[in-house]
Amino acid sequence: MTSATMTASAMLLARNDADRRFPQAEQPELLEELCFAVTGMLRDADWDRPWRVYELDEMSPIDLAYLVESGLMTPRFAEAGGEGRGFAVYGEGLASLEINGEDHLRLVGFRTGDGLEGLWSLLNSLDDRLETTVSYAFDPGWGYLSANPARAGTGLRVYATLHLPALMLTGKLATTGLELVNHGLSMAPLWGGAGGVVQVSNSARQQGPESEVVRLVSEVCSEIVEKERSVRKMLLRENPLQARDQIGRSLGLAQHAWTMTFAEAVNLISAAQVGLEAGLVEAPGLAGRSAFSLMTELQPAHIVIDHMDRKVGCLESNEIDEVRARLMREVFAGACVR
Amino acid sequence: MFAEESPDWNPDDSSSIDCELCGEEPATMHLLRVVDGKVSHTHLCPRCAESVAEQTEGLALVLALPTVLRKGKNVPETTPYQPGQGRDQRFCAVCGTTASDLKESGLVGCPACYQTFREQLEAMVKRDVEAVEHLGKVPLRGPETDNLRHEMLRLERMLRELVAHERYEEAAGVRDRLAELGQRLQGSEK
Repeated sequence: MTSATMTASAMLLARNDADRRFPQAEQPELLEELCFAVTGMLRDADWDRPWRVYELDEMSPIDLAYLVESGLMTPRFAEAGGEGRGFAVYGEGLASLEINGEDHLRLVGFRTGDGLEGLWSLLNSLDDRLETTVSYAFDPGWGYLSANPARAGTGLRVYATLHLPALMLTGKLATTGLELVNHGLSMAPLWGGAGGVVQVSNSARQQGPESEVVRLVSEVCSEIVEKERSVRKMLLRENPLQARDQIGRSLGLAQHAWTMTFAEAVNLISAAQVGLEAGLVEAPGLAGRSAFSLMTELQPAHIVIDHMDRKVGCLESNEIDEVRARLMREVFAGACVR
Repeated sequence: MFAEESPDWNPDDSSSIDCELCGEEPATMHLLRVVDGKVSHTHLCPRCAESVAEQTEGLALVLALPTVLRKGKNVPETTPYQPGQGRDQRFCAVCGTTASDLKESGLVGCPACYQTFREQLEAMVKRDVEAVEHLGKVPLRGPETDNLRHEMLRLERMLRELVAHERYEEAAGVRDRLAELGQRLQGSEK
């Protein structure tokens, strides 16, 4: 599997304190106490890399959106409020920790490309260290306990982000989704399905050991990626003119548009990436960088923070679309279909 | 970044509904279609879901109906004791969560609830899987009895699989090991 089609790996690991009620039922001061103890340990203990503890109360919606867009915070944690919550990032973005969200502790891991096993290894070791401060709620039959009994077990949710434009175009994603259900996995569209970018995750209460869940998701995703490749070959072989036409039109828009929504940008980058992988496209601006990282950088909060000096107060502003179009023109300058 | 969670599926108060297409079989699949960023939901039986999936063009995603996530609506009324009272009066002595809280929200309040409401919770979660047993990581600081129980659960599962495959010699070895662990567990609990 190459990082071109398996575009990102992510993981969540949920844990709860055995000596407290679950967050939705606990008194605020006891949640604060837990948050204080955990953040203190993050700051003081000897870790391989440092933690940066954030003050959630001082963060703007754009800061929160930036973390969500970066895969370091779950959307539900960003949207929810409440007392005693905390958040910290490990090793400048290797992993993060949500405190007193739906669970007392939730480790989050995200990286671009194919790296599920490495992520599990990192989260597993961080989990072992956290356990020296928090005594985990655990039952030999149920596994790690959670407020929602359907989530009791390993506490592990594994996500693989895949770029599957050919399967989407040919309507084969639906049958792929059905096959996933048989493995206890599910598929959901990332970014509203733009560009054929989807996320596969373990949905059922998995009972196997964590390494088996990770292996299952990796293996099933490898099969899907192979299917995507063969459909792309078939499309290019049977419809060479239409394929070139579609990709060429995408490059034209990317080079000449003056305002562009995020979904449109993702669709255009997706088409260009298919052309690049098939050897049909030359795009000097894309050399050495992944299409997925470009998509990530074009999300609204990324544009506001990285390119607009935070000068826009709302993520729906038209100015963001203008800047996005300019960035696309710069990246795709000189790109052409062979 | 993480995709949006599939919405909880609470169509009505009944514990099951029929397939929206054939109207005969119970709907157990949740078909989620995304066209131009717009999401629509259909509830189908497995046979209809398969035929719809084959005919669907564009980005259509099929998700299994998350029965265990259907909070509250399908928590079974297991009231084997307190006959005549009509309602389950149980509550958790640690956090005060009552059986009706659990039925309403689908959430428990604290780790002790897992003992208090064991039957309901097992019935909620278990329906499609053979048994509730954890085979993953265990806490480093857990008491030795936890580790023993966990190992015994693992061996019991292995024993069932060995017997099912008629590998009786290996099964006998596992059975002996189980007996040994059982004695150790009894000893450590005294």
